Amino acid sequence: MSRHPFSKKSLTEAITPWLFLLPSIVILVTFLAIPIIEAFQWSFLDYKIIADTSEFVGFANFKEIFSDEMFWMAFVNTILYVAIVLPLNIFLPMILAVLVNQKIRAVGAFRVLYYLPVVTPIVVAALMWKMLYSQDGTVSNFFVKLGIIDSPMNFLTNTTTALIAVAFITVWKGLGYYMIMYLANLQSIPKQVYESASIDGANGIQQFFKITVPMMVPSMTLVSVLTIINGLKVFEEIALTTNGGPAGATTTLVMYIYDKFMNLDVSIASAAGLVLLLLAIIGSLIQMKLTSGREDDLKA
Amino acid sequence: MKTKTQTKKIILYIVMLAICVVTVGPFLYTLFIALKPATQGIYDGLLPANPTFANFVDAFYKTDFLRYLLNTVIVTGIAVPFNLLFSSMAGYALARMNFKGRSIVLTLIISTMTVPFQLYMAPLFQIAGELGLRNSYVGLAVLQVSTAFGIYFMRQAFLTVPKELEESAYLDGANRFQVWWKVAMPLVKPTLISLAIYTFTFTWGDYLWPLINTTESSMYTLSIALAQMSQNFDGGNLKLISAASILTTIPSLLIFIWLQKYFISGQTDGAVKG
Repeated sequence: MSRHPFSKKSLTEAITPWLFLLPSIVILVTFLAIPIIEAFQWSFLDYKIIADTSEFVGFANFKEIFSDEMFWMAFVNTILYVAIVLPLNIFLPMILAVLVNQKIRAVGAFRVLYYLPVVTPIVVAALMWKMLYSQDGTVSNFFVKLGIIDSPMNFLTNTTTALIAVAFITVWKGLGYYMIMYLANLQSIPKQVYESASIDGANGIQQFFKITVPMMVPSMTLVSVLTIINGLKVFEEIALTTNGGPAGATTTLVMYIYDKFMNLDVSIASAAGLVLLLLAIIGSLIQMKLTSGREDDLKA
Repeated sequence: MKTKTQTKKIILYIVMLAICVVTVGPFLYTLFIALKPATQGIYDGLLPANPTFANFVDAFYKTDFLRYLLNTVIVTGIAVPFNLLFSSMAGYALARMNFKGRSIVLTLIISTMTVPFQLYMAPLFQIAGELGLRNSYVGLAVLQVSTAFGIYFMRQAFLTVPKELEESAYLDGANRFQVWWKVAMPLVKPTLISLAIYTFTFTWGDYLWPLINTTESSMYTLSIALAQMSQNFDGGNLKLISAASILTTIPSLLIFIWLQKYFISGQTDGAVKG
C-alpha cells in the first residue's frame, strides 16, 4: 500500500492512528467488550447481582435452561416467528419494489409512503397495532365483514393468532426497508433483458417470474439472512403488545432472557444469551458465505 | 393499444393505493382516534365526529410530555454529533492509516456487530450503575456515542475517497488531522448524513436500553413514557396516548421527508458493504 511521500516511521506517525481510535476504543471497550466478556463469565457462574457473590458452576446454567420447558417453548416460538416472517419478508417487499420501479407519475410519493413504517418508533408502531388488533378494532371488523372470522376477536389475546399478529407488525415495519434493497437490485438488471423478452412475446407476469425473480436472488438472500438475524432478536413488538402471552404463546428467546434479567437471574439470562449468540453467528456465517463475491450484483 | 396501457395504469394505481392503506392506514387510524372528542368512543366509528385537538393539548398538560420530549432531544442531541465525530475518526484510521494491529481492531469491531444486545445488557446495566450513569443523559446516550456499525460504515466511505486528493494536501504541508478534517470529511458528507439519520432514528425510538437504564420517570424518553402510559391501556387515556404517539412520530417523519434520499442511499450502501 502506498503512503504519502513524506511517510516516516516517526513516533507521531505511530501514535496518530491510536489517537484517532482512542475515543471509540474507550467507549467500545467499556460498554461493549467488557459487558460481552462478563456475560460469558456469568453464564458459567451462579452470580447474585445484588449480593455481588458468585460461584463457579460450570455448565449448570446451560443444563438448567435446556431442561426448562419455558426455554424450549421460547425457542420454538422464535423459530415459528421467523418462519412466519421470512416468506412474507422475501416476497411482499419484492412486489412493492417492482411496483415503485414503474415509470409512472407520483411513484416517488409511493416510495415515501411505503417507507413510513420504517422510521416510526417501534413503541408507536406497537401501540397502533395493539389498537388495530383489539376486539373492537378495524382488523377484527374487517375480518368479520370478509367472513374470515365469525365474531369480533382480539388477535393478541388468542393463543392461535397472537404470534402471527405480532409477526405481522414486524413485517409491516420492515416492508419499506427491504423494498429499498430489492429496488437497488432491480435497477441493476439490464433493460435489454426485458426488451428481448418482450420481443419473444413474454408478458409482464411471465417476465416477473422468468427474469425478475431469478435476477433478484442476491437481494433475496440478503433479505432472508437479515430477517433471520433480526428475527432471532425480536423483542419490542412482543414486549409492548402481548408481553409474551397469552400463556407463553409469544414468549420468544429474547422475552425469556428479558424475564430472567428482570428476575435478576442474570446467570441464566447470560447462558440463554449465549444460545442466542450462537444462533446469530450461524446466521451471520451463512450470510457471509452467501453474499461474498455478490457485491457487484447488488450495486445499482 | 392506448386504452390498454391506460387501463393497466389505472389498475397499477389502485393496487399501489391499496398498499398505502396498509402502510399508512395505522397512522391515520391513530390520528383519527387522537382527534376524537371526549363524547365519542375510541372504537366508535372510524372518523372523528367533531375533530378536536383537546387530546393533543391534554398530552402536554396532563402528562410530562415536554419533559420527555426534552429528555429525548438531549439524548439524541448527544448521540448524533458524537457518533459522527468518533466513528469517523476511528473509521478514518482504519481506512487510511497503516499501523500494527489494524486488521485485528477492524475484525474485532466487525465481529461485535453480530452480538445481540440482550446477551450483554445485564453486565452493561451493572457497569452503567457503577459508573453513575443510571438515570443520566450520558448513560442513555453512551451506547450510541460511538458504534461498531458507525465505524465500519465510515471506514467503507473513507476507502472510496481518492488518495490523490489527500496526497496533494500532504504536499501542501497539511498533517493527518487536517487532511482528515478538511479533505476527507467533506467528501464523505452523504455518508455522514446517513449515519446521522440512522443514529437519530435509532436513539429517538430506542426502547430496551432506556427501559432498563431509567428508573426515575423524570428521565423517561418519549418511547419509555409512551410504553408506561399504555400499561393501563384499556383505560380512558387511549386518545391521549394516540395523540402522544402521533407527536412522538412527527420529528422522525419530518427528518425522513427532508432527507429521504440519504435514508435510501445510506441503507443500500450499508446493505452492499455490511
